[in-house]
Amino acid sequence: MGLSSAAAIASEAIQLCIFDLRRGQHEGQELDKILFFFPAGLPFSKQLSVIGLSEGLITFTRIFSPEAACEVIEAERHRHVFYESEPDVWMVMVVEKSNDSEAIWRDDALRKVLKEVHSLFVMFHGSIRALLEKEPGGELARRHLYSFIMDYLRDFLVGKKLLLPSFRDCLKERGTVQMLTIGREAAIEVQSLVRMLESCAGNSSCYSLILFQDLLVSTTLSPDDTINLFTYAVLRLTPHALSSGVSSWSYLRKGNTGSNFATESILAHSRSVSDSFYGSSDTSPDGDTHHHVVRPLQHDKWSKGKDGYLVTDIWGAEVGNWAYATPTVWLQQTQEKMYLCAYQHRNLTLILLVPVSIILNGEQGVSVVKQQVLENASLKILKVEEKLSKGWGGENAYHVSGYRYLLVDGDRNVSRASPAGKVATLNKDSLLSMSKVREEVDLEKNRAKRDGSGCERDLEFCIRAKNNAWVIARVTRGKELYMVLEKANETLLYASDAVEKFSNRYCNGAFSLD
Amino acid sequence: MSDSGSSSTSGDDNIDQDLDLTSKPIEEQLASVQLTLSDTEPSASQEVVNGIANGSVNRSNQLEIDEPVQGNSEDALDEVGVHLERGVVWGRIVSELEKDGPPSPSSSGYAGERGSSSGTSGLGIDEVEDEILEVRNRDSVNEVSDSPAAWVPGKRHENEDDASISWRKRKKHFFILSHSGKPIYSRYGDEHKLSGFSATLQAIISFVENGGDHIKLVRAGKHQVVFLVKGPIYLVCISCTEEPYESLRGQLEFIYDQMLLILTKSVNRCFEKNPKFDMTSLLGGTDVVFSSLIHSFSWNPATFLHAYTCLPLAYATRQAAGTILQDVADSGVLFAILMCRHKVVSLVGAQKASLHPDDMLLLANFVMSSESFRTSESFSPICLPRYNPMAFLYAYVHYFDVDTYLILLTTSSDAFYHLKDCRIRIKMVLLKSNVLSEVQRSLLDGGMHIEDLPVDPLPHLGSSSHLDQHRLPTDSPERFKEPYAGVGGPAGLWHFIYRSIYLDQYVSSEFSSPINSTRQQKRLYRAYQKLYASMHDKGVGSHKTQFRRDENYVLLCWVTQDFELYAAFDPLADKALAIKTCNRVCQWVKDVENEIFLLGASPFSW
Repeated sequence: MGLSSAAAIASEAIQLCIFDLRRGQHEGQELDKILFFFPAGLPFSKQLSVIGLSEGLITFTRIFSPEAACEVIEAERHRHVFYESEPDVWMVMVVEKSNDSEAIWRDDALRKVLKEVHSLFVMFHGSIRALLEKEPGGELARRHLYSFIMDYLRDFLVGKKLLLPSFRDCLKERGTVQMLTIGREAAIEVQSLVRMLESCAGNSSCYSLILFQDLLVSTTLSPDDTINLFTYAVLRLTPHALSSGVSSWSYLRKGNTGSNFATESILAHSRSVSDSFYGSSDTSPDGDTHHHVVRPLQHDKWSKGKDGYLVTDIWGAEVGNWAYATPTVWLQQTQEKMYLCAYQHRNLTLILLVPVSIILNGEQGVSVVKQQVLENASLKILKVEEKLSKGWGGENAYHVSGYRYLLVDGDRNVSRASPAGKVATLNKDSLLSMSKVREEVDLEKNRAKRDGSGCERDLEFCIRAKNNAWVIARVTRGKELYMVLEKANETLLYASDAVEKFSNRYCNGAFSLD
Repeated sequence: MSDSGSSSTSGDDNIDQDLDLTSKPIEEQLASVQLTLSDTEPSASQEVVNGIANGSVNRSNQLEIDEPVQGNSEDALDEVGVHLERGVVWGRIVSELEKDGPPSPSSSGYAGERGSSSGTSGLGIDEVEDEILEVRNRDSVNEVSDSPAAWVPGKRHENEDDASISWRKRKKHFFILSHSGKPIYSRYGDEHKLSGFSATLQAIISFVENGGDHIKLVRAGKHQVVFLVKGPIYLVCISCTEEPYESLRGQLEFIYDQMLLILTKSVNRCFEKNPKFDMTSLLGGTDVVFSSLIHSFSWNPATFLHAYTCLPLAYATRQAAGTILQDVADSGVLFAILMCRHKVVSLVGAQKASLHPDDMLLLANFVMSSESFRTSESFSPICLPRYNPMAFLYAYVHYFDVDTYLILLTTSSDAFYHLKDCRIRIKMVLLKSNVLSEVQRSLLDGGMHIEDLPVDPLPHLGSSSHLDQHRLPTDSPERFKEPYAGVGGPAGLWHFIYRSIYLDQYVSSEFSSPINSTRQQKRLYRAYQKLYASMHDKGVGSHKTQFRRDENYVLLCWVTQDFELYAAFDPLADKALAIKTCNRVCQWVKDVENEIFLLGASPFSW
């Protein structure tokens, strides 16, 4: 009983829905619009009221702003963040502003959560629209969305609460890749490893991604596909993800893995209520082959096999074979379906993507490729891992003392930030101020994007906050730098100098003034 | 124009539809809203064609800076006086309504009745005001005979409604509506044609309210929709001007307060008695007050600084004006204010009475936007919302010349002749001590010019006027020593605003090159506005310093316990030099504070 009442509280705080404006346009068929709703246990009348308001405001705002409909509704107690993930398919997240002073968000950060879960969904299941076209009743899309998003949301559970990225995460950028900095020699080694890997399928249309711990070393994928696969790898595949069973994106979550019991019951509670609507009979995922929904984000499903390859039963087992089926993903850029093979050696994770179309005999063909990799590249992998481990500076490798920073390269979708543990030492007021400044920068950036002309905005903010911290934002030529300096001298020139030094030393002078 | 009878019937029909709407469950309402919206699309494109065909443009009014270039405009200026007087009279009607109970449906919204009711109720007012009332009655008569459609609030783009593309493209809309969805005021378009749109706004607001929440803001692309609920009055702004939410919300507060200034908060009681009460009648003719207020949002920094500004004058001159005003205040006047355009020459208040800068702004706007105050001495009921939102005060207004006017405020409705006497006494003293001519001279000279920023920060001794001194020939070479001649002041300084916190006053430098056009000035004010909002964030608390650079400006803001400084520089300005320049500006302001501020004004010692 205690747990279910806790669930009710938790579910009040956050709602997430997906609806299709092309469906349910006739009276009495409104339920048809709803493709996903969290918490699913909420009465349909309430679900429809959230969607009705969203739909009403999308229509209303189009009167004045036909090119960009409703993005945010801010009310005294709630904030609704909108994201049109596919034409007419809208995702809306409703967060409650409680008295809890932690409940302060940045719209763009929340929108990036929506964007991330949608991109990952499409990578595994294809577009929502395609699912709806495949099965116009919507059952198929609902089932897939339900299990996928619930698995995704589980990553945000801390104790009994879903913790979304708040102001405390203002020195982080979702939807970007974090890179490992490597020397020239190591880079050459990695290069030749990549060539070796991709030649194993005997075809040049293979792609690969190499990670060291949770950092990207190399990719041959398009930027968008890189982000998706990198995100998935960090969530489920890297040594860290395998060992903790919990993603590493938020330091708030660290050391909270013991609360899985409560976690499960909260999400399970809301699930049981509307099974019939979402058709989510995945309580026995392995048994029921008719309704089998692949759940790529399911927890604790990946493990490292004896041969070094990562295995999972998520994609089921091939009939008449003891081996697990190889996962497949859709590439956004080429719209090609690929087999995903992941190999791990100590800190090194290699992901090889092989087009399904060129493997003629299914799983058998895949294992031939895998075997090929082991035979050709094993030594090289050992060597590269060794080299990278030697050069690795540890968890605080990218800490710059005195600075708390986030550096984003928008053109390459790459970011680097102070280690989470260091950011956590900042005063709450500093973080709040930074979050606010980022909000302002977001607005300016979005404006520039819309105007088209001013894509390359050049901005500088340098604020001495109430608590005497310097809160700094610089945007120039598609690059962004955010910085908090606490215990710094009070003059503006001192703060500018600090930025200048940082820029010259760590950003090739990108933010330096001539 | 069709005759008023038929158009009012159609208006009535609309209203009935609205009532039907409100009785439906909210979900249905929103659904039907969507339907109507999509239904209007085809007719919208027709409107464009018409709009272009009609394209006659008579944009005589400089208030229209926000608008796109195309569009018709209905010039309301010649009716301004009339409407204003009526607005004032209707201020009284409110109180009558309170006594008489809810108005009968037939008397609540139509031209003929309104015209006559203002006439008759006007006759009932104290004899003291007869000389003013005569004017009013004459105006009412003229209005009825000359302009049969005058009851439709005079406004530009009256032919537009939410189906017109031109209307949709206006950069900044303001709406006032009642909680039952009845339109009260719209900056653009005819309120009656906008009743469907108004019902939509009402539906959105009440949908969220029914969920136990209050909607504040909707963001969509460049557009922001800002909501403000004040009891039975709903205010909405739809804008793509990039102003921060806090500023737009502040502007809605101003509009609401401007309404209170005309009607007092007791208008709420009309809604208590009859939720479907139609308020347009009470505000008829005051369009020009609102449009002038809205215009000031883009040029008057007082609207976001919440401070007032003084006309620069020699200390002795201001003292002379203050002394006679104080004399008058001691004789039972609540506030005596001498103003030149929107700047204060001097002001005093009775003991313990304090005047909020926002009230001053609204009062000055009310007086200056109403042509009728210029032509005769007037005695009008007004309410100062920050002073007492429930009660009327009485304002005696008299223009000494085209720019300079006196406002005497009293609580007594029969003080007209006393105030008239006061005015005569004041005028004599002002003439004798040359205050009025000094005021005219100051208008010509302007205030602080950034080119005059002293190079050495030491105060210039033995000068009665520092402002003037820097325009002496001996000082001028100093000005051109700087290598920045022709592009603003030293170190690329383009403009500044200095706000004294304990005085509730600010001083803004005169615009000079390169901030020459009104467009550039408006852009700079909007940049200041953003900076102000960013510095005074309610959640985070006020910042201390901010340096901000984009492709247009370098902006520097410095907030201390005593003052706030906002300065704009060339975007390429050097940081160190800019900081030095700001220090010099602060010193300069302190040197000349006797002339630019009203010091020791009693109303502000709380």
